[in-house]
Amino acid sequence: MRRFGLPLVALALVVVVLVAASAGLAAYPDRPVKLIVPWAAGGDTDAIFRPFGPQLQKHLGATIVIANVTGASGTVGAREAKNSPPDGYTVYATHDYIHSTYYTGVSDVSYKDFEPVCTVSATPSVLTASPKTKWTSWQELLGDAKARPGQITVGATLGSTSHFFPALIEKSAGIKLKYVSYEGLAPRMNAILGGHIDLTDSNLTQKGKVDAGQLKFIAIATEKRLPQAPSVPTLKELGVDVVYAVTRGLVVPKGTPADAVAKLETACAKATAEPKFAEDMAKQGTAVRFLDRKAYAEFLKRNDQLNHDLARDLGLLKR
Amino acid sequence: MFGYLLASLAEIVRPAYLLPLSIGTLAGMIGGSLPGVTITMTIILVLPFTFALDPLQGLAAMTGVYVGGSAGGLVTACLLGIPGTPSAIATTFDGFPMARKGEPGRAVWLGTWASVFGGLLGAAFLIGATGPLAAFALEFGPWEYFSLFIFALSMVAGLTEASLLKGLLSGAIGLIVTVIGSDPIMAVPRLTLGTEFLRSGFQFLPVLIGIFAFAQIMTDLERMGGNVAPPRVEAPSLAVSHLSVIREILSRPFLLLWSTLIGVWIGVLPAIGGSAANVMAYDQAKKFSKRPEKFGTGIPEGVIASESSNNANVGGSLVTIMAFGIPGDAVTAVMLGAMIIHGIQPGPLFISQEPRVAYGIFAAYLVAHPVMLVLQWLGARFYLRVVQVPKSVLIPVVLVLCTVGAYALNNIIENVYVLLIFGVLGYLLVKFRFPLAPLILGVILGDQIEVNLVRALMTDADPWLFLTRPLSGGMLLASVASVGLALWQHRRQQRMGAAAQAGAPDTDF
Repeated sequence: MRRFGLPLVALALVVVVLVAASAGLAAYPDRPVKLIVPWAAGGDTDAIFRPFGPQLQKHLGATIVIANVTGASGTVGAREAKNSPPDGYTVYATHDYIHSTYYTGVSDVSYKDFEPVCTVSATPSVLTASPKTKWTSWQELLGDAKARPGQITVGATLGSTSHFFPALIEKSAGIKLKYVSYEGLAPRMNAILGGHIDLTDSNLTQKGKVDAGQLKFIAIATEKRLPQAPSVPTLKELGVDVVYAVTRGLVVPKGTPADAVAKLETACAKATAEPKFAEDMAKQGTAVRFLDRKAYAEFLKRNDQLNHDLARDLGLLKR
Repeated sequence: MFGYLLASLAEIVRPAYLLPLSIGTLAGMIGGSLPGVTITMTIILVLPFTFALDPLQGLAAMTGVYVGGSAGGLVTACLLGIPGTPSAIATTFDGFPMARKGEPGRAVWLGTWASVFGGLLGAAFLIGATGPLAAFALEFGPWEYFSLFIFALSMVAGLTEASLLKGLLSGAIGLIVTVIGSDPIMAVPRLTLGTEFLRSGFQFLPVLIGIFAFAQIMTDLERMGGNVAPPRVEAPSLAVSHLSVIREILSRPFLLLWSTLIGVWIGVLPAIGGSAANVMAYDQAKKFSKRPEKFGTGIPEGVIASESSNNANVGGSLVTIMAFGIPGDAVTAVMLGAMIIHGIQPGPLFISQEPRVAYGIFAAYLVAHPVMLVLQWLGARFYLRVVQVPKSVLIPVVLVLCTVGAYALNNIIENVYVLLIFGVLGYLLVKFRFPLAPLILGVILGDQIEVNLVRALMTDADPWLFLTRPLSGGMLLASVASVGLALWQHRRQQRMGAAAQAGAPDTDF
């Protein structure tokens, strides 16, 4: 028996491979689906899609494997997703950075390389100040910014959402800020706690630091004040017409069969409706936000134009 | 505070916590010992299993992975000459020669006990000084980071072997490697020849595995082809007198303490982590030593410096997550994610709001070290088997593991090509007698030096700030001193020449 062990295993493997190959014709999904998250485990995006994965798996009926394809401001993952076979077995978890990195020339992948499936969540941006700054309100910040144009420093991932959000405020309030490159929320938090930068874009996950007096929330970019942080004013009520949230969603490579996209969309709708998911998102300072593929397509189109204009206004437009 | 700690220790040693902690430590040791599988990957693999556990059980398991991983890397480093994790790079410098000389047991156990002592000393810092350490780390702006990394880079001069020129060239190659690809600020492509492949640049891990693992394997292969009898003693044994090993370590209190401090401090600063700490500690040990020329020939100081610093580094990385809820490296980032998934909000109020979890992590970190020791003792016989496996079987297995690890890093095939390119480069460098450590140090530091230089100048265009800010200026001065000292040692070594071969006393520095 021992002598035949290896050939038997090999034979079994061949059979498995053949069955798997012929099953290409079977109904979608019949094998695990890879969910590409273009940032590292432990990051904001990962923290949202990790609890989402099991919910999607439950409603899709196929194993979801989360693959963190990291590097170069999330553009390595974007490129990997774009080059994956359009068979519904590669899904790409994206957010607004796909527009900004395209227009600022950081990446050559556009939202047009993908078919939208659904949006999952929206994380409102909060303008956050270092504890070492003297401002206690937006008005004081505004006055200081007008008195010292181009002196107040903002930590941001250049060309990405954390750069565009303060830039929108800059434009709307008629002030001039100075940007310093800090890629990712964690390095920005270190720098702002130490007072090496004055301002940054963050979100409600940082509330613990605000409660401890180590950070200051200046204003939130929502339409109305949020129940989780009732004392934080909205930019709108302060006369700055900026509403900004990082919207995360699922897309698949262009050319994915329509029935696979439809099945993913249905599963996504059910997964986002799970109360457990809403509970997990609340811990992330995030709201569940489902848009079907049609609405998501329109959203992407609008958002793309907005990002194009912003990049142009910032002098960062490369295409 | 000690009341909390004692209560937590009593809790952690209960089976409900000790079991996940031990499983985590074992997983970490296995992951750490496989070249190409990093501690980060191991902890991500463990993460889903912790969802079903209570938060402290999960965090205990992850703390175990972290501690076990740092220790697991040393086994591969000593026995195969390949760093199992980046934090064991410097362990290969003396651990592998020591094992080659017929003392594999001494190498492995020196490393293990140094890990335990370094880790426990690191724990003392973690528990006693989380607040002040973290506050001091925040004072580090881009200027200070830049100067610190320049100081780290100045160690290239100390890591050169026979030829100073070749060492510097090797370091320069490392720096150039980090320039290739998209620039870290605005992703402007540099030296990419217009290709997609080069645009992503070279990730650290495939470069490391390529340089070290391939170069090591190739030389092993050559030796096989020549049919030369392996220089290993027959029936090698990992058995060793633990008392004498412990005495070897404790008779060098200054070395142990200094290496631990370097490890803790590099861990507290959220930028480079264990991969740099062990090389820095090794270089410092060599600089302060009375017999620097012996480094690299299999002396205990090299192993002790490297291994005590990398376990202490774990304690350091936990400092920022405890104090501010900011992850210090990829491993603590995953731990932070796990806390959030369990509904624990890490942040500055974490220790006061969740004392049970916070002190539980301290306790898990302390308990993980004896657990690791026991597992290492149990595992020793299996390690021996690995060394006894014929090279013709072992080498392909290691190669496959390296390749899989490089792929799994970000799930793209390009990294496998990077592995191959740097494997060939590493082999050529070894053939032409270039030291590899300066190259790796260049790769680790290049990006960070550039990013912090740009950040500093973006914040304030005045370049004099690098010298006028006291911490930054001090470190730049230290860099100059470090290069000077290394050059002086190098001269002295060359002058003494063969005279140094005479048995030098086995002393602390």
